[in-house]
Formats: sequence, C-alpha cells, structure tokens
Amino acid sequence: MKDFVKKLFQASDLQHEIMPAVISSRIRLARNLSDSKFVKYACRGDLRAVADRCEKALLSYPSLKNSDVINMSDLQEYERMALVERHLCSQEFIVDTNEARLLLADDRLISVMINEEDHLRAQVFQSDLNFRGMFDKINGIDDHLSKNLDIAFDAKYGFLTSCPTNVGTGMRASVMLHLPALVITKQMNNLILAVQKLGFVVRGLFGEGSEAQGNLFQISNQQTLGLSEVDILSRLTQIIKSIIDYEMNAREIVKKERMVWLCDFMGRALGILRGCYLMTSEDAINGISLMMLASDLGYLPNALRNDLAQILMKIQSSHIQVLANKLLSDSERDIKRAEIVRDFFATVPNLRFH
Amino acid sequence: MDKCQFCGKPATVHMTQIVNNKTTVVRMCNECATKHGLFSKEELPFAMLSSLGEALFAGIRQNLSTQGLICSKCGCTPMSFKETGRLGCPNCYRDLKLLIDGIVDSSQKGAFHKGKKPKSQTTVEVEKILEKEGLSDSPANGNTSRRRRKNSPRSKLEELGENLSNAIKNERYEEAAKLRDEIRKLKKSEGEES
Ligand SMILES: [Zn+2]
Ligand SMILES: [Zn+2]
Repeated sequence: MKDFVKKLFQASDLQHEIMPAVISSRIRLARNLSDSKFVKYACRGDLRAVADRCEKALLSYPSLKNSDVINMSDLQEYERMALVERHLCSQEFIVDTNEARLLLADDRLISVMINEEDHLRAQVFQSDLNFRGMFDKINGIDDHLSKNLDIAFDAKYGFLTSCPTNVGTGMRASVMLHLPALVITKQMNNLILAVQKLGFVVRGLFGEGSEAQGNLFQISNQQTLGLSEVDILSRLTQIIKSIIDYEMNAREIVKKERMVWLCDFMGRALGILRGCYLMTSEDAINGISLMMLASDLGYLPNALRNDLAQILMKIQSSHIQVLANKLLSDSERDIKRAEIVRDFFATVPNLRFH
Repeated sequence: MDKCQFCGKPATVHMTQIVNNKTTVVRMCNECATKHGLFSKEELPFAMLSSLGEALFAGIRQNLSTQGLICSKCGCTPMSFKETGRLGCPNCYRDLKLLIDGIVDSSQKGAFHKGKKPKSQTTVEVEKILEKEGLSDSPANGNTSRRRRKNSPRSKLEELGENLSNAIKNERYEEAAKLRDEIRKLKKSEGEES
C-alpha cells in the first residue's frame, strides 16, 4: 500500500506554467445513471452495481485505460485527506466511503469520483486558463459515458443531479487565484460581493471568506441551469481576467507606495522559513504565499513559482503523514513541516529588490 | 385571463389543491370564493380583498403545493429533501416538480436547460449504421467518397447518406431513422440486381 499511495502523489505534481496570480483551474461535471437511485438513497448493493458499471465504462475510454481505480475504504484516513488536499476528490467524498471509488488518470490531471453525491463526478485540472482545452477533454469523456451508460437527462432540466443546485449542465468550473495585493489593500470583501452579484462565488482555499490563509481563493460558477457550458466558461474567464488586472494594479500600487514595508515583510518571512524548527500550517502557507509574490515580482527567480506551488502541497498535514507513512500528532507535524520548509528555503537565493 | 370555474367571471383567486396525490389549481372569482367559505361573509372592499387574497393564497399555495408530494419511484418527499438536501432519484424531478421549480426559481439563472445534450443512444446507433454502410464521416471513408463524388455523378445512395449525417448532426432523429431505412432498402435492391 505504501508504494501505491506514494506513486499517487508523486505523479500528480501539476507543472505550472507561470502565470501571475493563477494557480490552477478545474472543470467538474456531475452525472447520474437514469435507472438507479441517487447515492444518498441507494442501498449498498445498488451502489456496488453502479460503481461497477461506471468503472467499466470509464476504463473503456482510450485515454483513461491506464488509470488507477482506488477503493476509498482501502485507504487510511490521512491518505484520503491527502487526496482532498490535492483536490483530486472532495471532502464529502471521504465522509462516507461506502462503494466510493476514485479513478485517477495516469497523468493525474483527470479524476472521477464514483458514488460521491452523484454517481459520477468527473474533474479535469490544468495550471492555466485554457478552459477550451479542458472542456474538450472532459466533454470527450462525457460523450463516451453517455454512449455507454444511460445517463439521467431531461429536456427541461438538463442533466439530473441529486441536488437541484447542480442540475442543467451539471458543470462547476473554478479557478484558484493568488491575490496577495488585493488582501493587503483590503479589497477582497468588495470583490467577493461584486462577483456574487454576477452569479459566481469566491471562497478562501484555506479558511473561510476574506480571512483566507495564503491569499488563495477559488472562484466558481454558482448557477448551472439556464446557461450553456460556453456561457458559463466565457463569463468566468472574463471575471477572472478582470480580477487578475485588479490584482496587478494593486501590486503596482503597493510596490510604488510601500516598498520598504514590502521588502521588510518579505525579508522577515524568508528569514522565518529558513530558520524555523516548529511551523504551523497557517504560518507556512502565509510565508510561502509571500514568496510566491516575490517570485512574481522578480525578487526571487521566476522559475521558483512551480516549486513554491509544490511545497504548498507538501506542507499540508495529511501530505506530511503520507510522507511519514503514519499518523502524527500536531507537534510532530509541526516539526516535520519545519524540516521540509527549512530544507527547501535553504536552497532559495536571497531576495533581490531592484 | 383565467375564468372562474364556477361562474365563468374573471378569476381573482387561485388555489392549489392536492387530491389523491394529484395537484390541481382551482380558479374562482371573489364571489364564489366567498360562497365556498374561503372568505368571511362580511363584504370587504374589493381592492383590499384582492390584495389580501393574493397575499394569503400565495402563502397557502406555497405550503399546500409541496405538501403530500411523493416520488413514486423512490419515496422521496419534500420533507426528506429538507432533511438531506438531496433528491432520491431522477424521477423526483417529475414527481416533485413543484418543489424543484421553487428551488430552481430562487437559485438558478433560468428554468430551462441551455447546455449540451447527451450523445444519446440513438445517435450511437445511427453512427454505427453509417459506419457499416460505409457512409460515416470518418477520414478513412470520407476522403474516398468525396473524391468519387467529384468524378462521377452522385449516386442516390451517397445523397441519402449525406442527408442522414446532416440529420444526425442536427439531432433530427426521426428523419434520420427514415433515411436509414431508405438506405437499407436501396442497398438491398442494388444487391439483388447485381
Ligand atoms: Zn365565480
Ligand atoms: Zn425519486
């Protein structure tokens, strides 16, 4: 089991094309079989039959034939949590692991949850904003599924889902953004409200609302019915592009008007990352976020951005336990985390403000 | 404008009733509503009555309309939806329509699906036939048949094949099925001739 789990995490490292403020994007489609009860109402036997049919249909798609299919109940709690930390499955998915199976494509850029709250929830990931390419990819899978399975669909309501808030396209598209300058200049609450009015939601990636750690936010569509997939994706793209512009402007202003303060802030953070022996995940996330900003601004090598995004994964609690291959206490984790962070930042050059 | 079910005058009161699990809307004028005991016998000024009636019946309708609903396939009710936040099966969208429409109305952009449709079994079937008849759009077949078309007059079969793929592309499945049968017939007769 150890090697298997390790393999899962090694292969799934997203290679980031460096695009300031954008960490990654994702499209998810929810689908159900028309002749079975939805997951929350189905008995174990039904769920097993559904899972078998879905698995077979998925593995018969050429680009998924080398995928791993994991029975979630075979994993340790912290191993399941680590998959959530990677966004390969949802928090809800690991609460009830009854016949819950996770398909991971060999490049780890596609995952399919079988028996989450819907029979099928397929996700595709990417590190930039190429929704067109992502949609083509997931649409191909979806077409294949509907050729091989009887998918629940209604002319008025579209794809039928266990919760009416997902009905219609069954599609949720989201982008993870790194917005330190908007947080520093206290613009997030305004942004959250403005985006909400457009039918989209902003969530902190770690922690809630504008108090999000690491200045990391996820923006996604709230509405799934009454809009086509293309409508949703082009609206989201527009919103994301204007948020990025907004963030870039804020970065320029902070640089121009608070340069000494910014240097001090970043310099101290790097000092802590290099010298720590006990580190909470909150401190680590916030520190790494500042180093990501430094790299975007050219104070650290730009190429470091990918490594920083990876370190951000590795310092999360369950990842540390997967690495140690055992359950750890809070303070044991803080020690291990400090080790990872210290080792990494020892190799990072000094900040160069120009 | 709706008419009163009892006397035919314009209806001002709409009430949803559920009898034997079936939802029906009763439409009445104020007079008949009063006669049937829905309002007090004392006469109220018309304007007041109608606004009061509207407010009252909007509330009643909302509560009444989802009461007693149950999915015939899985037994899900508005109550169980309220508890779990999840529906029981695809058929719930039919049997609990009133509940669904309320939720959709308050949370979604529109009431009708505008996105993609599943690549249905019909399409798949027709595609398979196209392939078998050597008329599919796949590059292997497409190139040769297109080249042939340039040099020789189009055969009836090719024309039908093209119509068939157009019908499928535009999701006119009934037409596609007819064309498919025609192609089969033609192929059969050609086979018999040679
Ligand atoms: Zn009347
Ligand atoms: Zn049902």
